[in-house]
Parts: sequence; structure tokens; C-alpha cells
Amino acid sequence: MRAAHLAINRLVDPSLAIVLAILAALVITGSVLSEDFGTLRNFLNVVEQSVSLGFVSLGQTLVILTGGIDLSIGALINLSSCLTSGLVGGKPALVVPVVLGILLIGVLVGALNGTLIITLGVHPLIVTLGMMSILQGLTLIYTLQPPGAMPAQFEFLAYGRILGVPFGALIMILLFVGVGYFLRRIRLGRYIFAVGGNPEAARLSGISTSRMIIFVYAACGFFAALTGVYLVSRMGIGDPWMGQGYELASITPVVVGGTILAGGKGGVWGTLAGVFLISFLNNLLNFMDVSSFYQWIAQGLIIIVAVSFYYERNG
Amino acid sequence: MPEAGTERLKASFLVPLFQRYGLYIFLLFLVIASAALSPHFLTAENIEDILNQAAPLGMAAIGQCFVILTGGLDLSVASVMATVAVLATALGAGGDAMAVPIFALGIILGSVVGLVNGYLVTKRKVSPFLATLAVMIVLQGLRFAYTKGAPSGILPPVFRTLGTSSFFGVPINLIALAFLSAVFAVILYRTTYGRKLYLTGGNPRAAYLSGINADGVVILAYVICGVFAALAGLFLVGYTGSVDNWVGKGYELDSIAAVVMGGASFKGGQGGIWGSLGGVIVLIIIFNLVLLLGLPVQAQMIVKGLVIILASAFYLTRKT
Repeated sequence: MRAAHLAINRLVDPSLAIVLAILAALVITGSVLSEDFGTLRNFLNVVEQSVSLGFVSLGQTLVILTGGIDLSIGALINLSSCLTSGLVGGKPALVVPVVLGILLIGVLVGALNGTLIITLGVHPLIVTLGMMSILQGLTLIYTLQPPGAMPAQFEFLAYGRILGVPFGALIMILLFVGVGYFLRRIRLGRYIFAVGGNPEAARLSGISTSRMIIFVYAACGFFAALTGVYLVSRMGIGDPWMGQGYELASITPVVVGGTILAGGKGGVWGTLAGVFLISFLNNLLNFMDVSSFYQWIAQGLIIIVAVSFYYERNG
Repeated sequence: MPEAGTERLKASFLVPLFQRYGLYIFLLFLVIASAALSPHFLTAENIEDILNQAAPLGMAAIGQCFVILTGGLDLSVASVMATVAVLATALGAGGDAMAVPIFALGIILGSVVGLVNGYLVTKRKVSPFLATLAVMIVLQGLRFAYTKGAPSGILPPVFRTLGTSSFFGVPINLIALAFLSAVFAVILYRTTYGRKLYLTGGNPRAAYLSGINADGVVILAYVICGVFAALAGLFLVGYTGSVDNWVGKGYELDSIAAVVMGGASFKGGQGGIWGSLGGVIVLIIIFNLVLLLGLPVQAQMIVKGLVIILASAFYLTRKT
């Protein structure tokens, strides 16, 4: 009995159970309230719409696990989206090299964030806030309106389906599985928790905290650039403002999913549940003809309820 | 973190100097560089311009400073600014007679938002980042629901007068900022509340053990921040003359940057009003200089980003 209990505890940690319960309650309520909500077709749509939020939140989760935060995500999405469609300029042959180049830029920008945080000793919030301003400036120097074009086939990333499942969502799930495995089963991944939980202890036990920090910001940069590329596929073209707000939006699923801002505790599955929770909530409110303004109110309340609920449980 | 490098620097006499006066040294460099780059920079007219623009951000930064001293931060500042501005236009049909009620309502709204933030942070133990983020989003939703997307009404003319006129050659904006800074500097540096604020921020446990009502101190800091955000919103629309749903956008982060550049630490208990205002002036000078030099506005963002990072780094070894 006890062994089984422990196994369950290991399998599903309590905050994940809570957010899954809320998600389930939401889906059931939705299905009762609206006929169209509870259909497979709608579920797949919701999943498809949650991909970009999933990508950015995945990166933000890694950063938050170390006790940091990345505010440069939105501006990096803007930059990478504009560079993608601007550089490809409609030529199919350029798609692969450009996308790879953009992802590399994302990694480099993230690594620069991490390096600045380490070497200057400035708080991540301030470094990434400064970086947000720099990247947005660069984006607007590059272009003031949606630049270039993409080949029509590029749409597949956002709208393609494989056996009925959205292609982008498949990539998202694979990335979550990959990062989840990395965090739990690979030594480097476990180090991330150590760095966030107790940096001094981590350092003393021989973990290079600096390298781990640069690593998580680089990963976050990668996911932001990927989001930029994905949004280009969705919208057909890059836009110097398309990523606006993602820096804060990416934090909501992470904390609703039980990862704490102080670092060291949490994980990607809670984040994924948080992403679905927000997407389903917005979808349900749409079905009920509630204006998007109220979706904001609902989102804010969810943050407060979830976070103070976790505190009650832990405290 | 850079242990080896800072150890070496600790021996240098420059370090205490930079630790204490980092921002002012930076500001001095910036002013000299600006004066060298643009002959127009040090004219009375331009200086007045700079100070005039500094007023709304300065007010937001004073409020933010109180919250950061508690070890928190307030992301709802811009949302309060916009909400107050929207309310001002909605009530503005009554003309100048409505000015006092608008100010009163703004202050009440700012206080209520501050109370909610403070309650969540102290009594519900929600992290300040999340509490104020959630309040920001909720407020944004309420504002848009109220305006249905586009605010209507007019701003009473007296706001425009407040925002753009001078009194004996000194912009009214600036007089208001100077007055508020002086009052709140006294509160911060000369009253028991100020002492309690520094102690609570620097060492909450010690504050608690010495019988300070730490929760009350923190909640009051958020209320002060909310009220300053409301005032900043009213002065900003008075200066620019236009109201939309996004008045003050970016002020929450700019005000945080200004306070941190001014020597505050997110750990709390460090920093102060004058440093925060110094940070505000640095940010405004950058905007001003880029315009004077005829550089594209985008360059402003890049320089601003660099300066936020570098100016914060000027406080070497301050982190513990």
C-alpha cells in the first residue's frame, strides 16, 4: 500500500494533480454548457491554438526553475518572426537554412542574457528587460511592417495535420516529453533544480551554476525563436509586434502549473496543464460569447487562486 | 557569479565610491557626453523639456521605490495609470469642475489597487510579481470591458494646463514632482514609518521580532505605489493630452528599471527616492539625446536597453 502510494506520489505530484483537476472540471463544465465545446474537433483546435504559448512557457519554465525570469521573450519572438519571413522572401530553398539560423540566433541571444546575468551580477529581471528593449529596437530597425513572404507550404507547421493531429501540437508534445525526460532523468537536468533550490549548495557540490544559468537562458531563447518561426507559419508572415505580451503570458501557465518563482520546484507537466487550462478557458469563454476583455479578468483570477491555493497547501 | 573578479576589485578604493554613487557618476558621464554630442543639450529650453517629461515617470518611480524597498515590485503601475486616465475622460464631460473629483477618485482607485496588491502579498503570501501581474491583468480586463475597447469622453482642460504650463518659469509638472519627492523623502528618511520600511525590507524576521507590524508596513507601501501610479497617470495624460486604453504602457517596467539603476535591490531594504529619480533622469536623457542627435527612434530602445543593464551593473558587488 505504502509503496503504491509513494509510486503515485512520484508519478503525479500534488500541484500537478490540482491543476489537472481544475482542467478536468473546466472541460466537463464546458461540455455541459456548450454542445460544440465537447467535440474532438474543438479539442484539436484548442490544442492547435495552444502551441505558441506551449513553446514559450516551456522555455520560461526552465528559467524559472533556476529562480530567474526572462522578459525578453516577446521581443525575441518579434525579431525572429521578422527575420524569418524577411530573409526567406518567398524562396522555398531558403526555408531550412533560415529557420536553423533563426533558432541559432535565439540560442545566442539567450546565452547572452545568461552571460550578462552571471558576469554583471545584475538581476535577471533587469538584464532581460534591457534585452527586451534592445531586441525590439533591432527589430524595428530591420522593419516597421510585416516583411518578406513565406512559401505556401510553410503553413504546414501551423495548420498541417498528421492522422488528424495538428503538426505543431505534435512537436510541442515531443518537446515537452523531451524536456520532461531531461529534467527528471538526465544529470544536467537535475542540476537545474539544484541551482534553483539552493545555488550555494549546488556550487559547493561541484555544479557549475554559471554554466547552468547560461544553459537555461539559451534554451529559453531557442524556444522563443521557435515560437517566432511557428507564428510566421500561422500568420503567413512575420510582424514586429506579434510577440508582444508573450513575456508575461508565458509566466502564467508556469506558475499555475505549480512551478514556484523562487526556483527549484516544479516541472514541465504542470506547465503543459497550465497552457491547456488557459487555452480551454479562453475557448470556453469564446463559446459563451464572453468578450475577450473578461478573459483577462478570468486569467488574472486564476493566477491569484492557483498561487494562493498552493501556498495554503504548502504552508 | 563573478567571485574572482570582484574580490580583486574590492581592494580598490573606487568600489565604495561606485557602490554609493554609481548612478550619479553614470549620470554625470551621461550629461557630459550629451553636452559634448549636442550643443542644444544644455540649453534652458531643453533642460525644461527633460524635466517636464520626467515628472510622470518620476512619480511612478517614487511609488515603485517604496514597494521595491519591501523586497517586492509592482507590475500593476501602468494598468492603474491607464485606468485612472480612462476614468478621467469618462467623468470629464463635467469640465474643470470635475478635476477635484477626478483626482479624488484616482487616489481612491490607486489605494484600493494597492490594498489588494498588499493583501495578496502579505496575507495570502502570493509572490509580489504574480500578485501584481494578476491585478494588472484583471484591471486591464475591467478597463476594456468598461470602455468596450475605445475610451470615450474628454479630458477636462485643466489637466492639459497642469501638464503643460509653467508657474514663474518652472513647469507645474516639475513643481508637483518636487513637492511630492520632498514630502515622501521626509516620510522615508525622517519618520518611523520610513525606518520600519527599511528594516522590514532588509530583514523581515528582525522587523517582526522587534514588534513591527510588518504586514501593515508592506501594505502601506503598495498603497503609496498605487496612489503614485494614479497621479502619474493623470499628469501623463495632462502632458500628452491623449487618452487611450494603454496610457503609461511600459511605465511599470521603466519605473522598476529606474529604481534599480538608482541602487535598489530586489531583496529589499536598499535604495531610495533620490537614486530612483536619478534613474528616471537617466532614462529621459537617453530619449532626449537620441532625438537631439537625429537618430531613429529605434536607436532609443537599443540605447535604453544597454543603459538599463550597464547602469544597474555599476553597483558592483552590491548583491549579497
